[in-house]
Amino acid sequence: MLLFRSEETVNQWCAAHNIPRRPLVNLEQLWQLAVHWYANRLTVESRRPGPDEMAFIFKSLDLTGPFWDPKSDQWH
Amino acid sequence: MPELELDTQVKLAIYEITAEAGSVPTSSQVSRKINIEENEVLAAFRRLHAKRLLLPEPGDPHRIRIAPPFSGVPTRFPVEANGKHYYANCVWDAYGIAAALHCDAISRASDGHTGEPLTLEVKNGEPILKSYVAHFAVPAAHWWEDLIFT
Repeated sequence: MLLFRSEETVNQWCAAHNIPRRPLVNLEQLWQLAVHWYANRLTVESRRPGPDEMAFIFKSLDLTGPFWDPKSDQWH
Repeated sequence: MPELELDTQVKLAIYEITAEAGSVPTSSQVSRKINIEENEVLAAFRRLHAKRLLLPEPGDPHRIRIAPPFSGVPTRFPVEANGKHYYANCVWDAYGIAAALHCDAISRASDGHTGEPLTLEVKNGEPILKSYVAHFAVPAAHWWEDLIFT
């Protein structure tokens, strides 16, 4: 997961590396993902979110569609 | 309070050492911290890997490559926080270190294509928002299959 100044440099990077262009995430969404994943990471009860929790988190951040579906078999 | 199970002790030790030292510990460092045999730590590393909580260094089970959000090796996402220097695994994890440590942080990262310096900053529990974007090359269903690339 890389950082880019703009959509334009994402497109240039994808073309240069022959990698399909995927959905973009803005910094507010990225921060919220970081908080959901890691805010309790240094505690006894920390764990990685399960697929259903992941789907709930993505939906709450308007990250929808098969790309964000942890159970999707549409992407390889 | 009941004694914590071994895997939890090892997990907490990994993160405590990392937070304090700025670098992800080896199995021997964890062994010394919690005073258990190193082979028990290595077994815990394997179980934590199976639970998707860490990734051992390929070819060297004594070292940890990824203890999310921290990286065991230098990356293009250095993070300064609490007066210490860390490495994050990706742009998500650069924010993740601030979220995990609950502190201000700054990551002097760069544009994935041009190399232009781009700074991410968290102050008073909030990100300093800019128009930058993150690109996720791997779909969510496959993130764990090649975590280093993801």
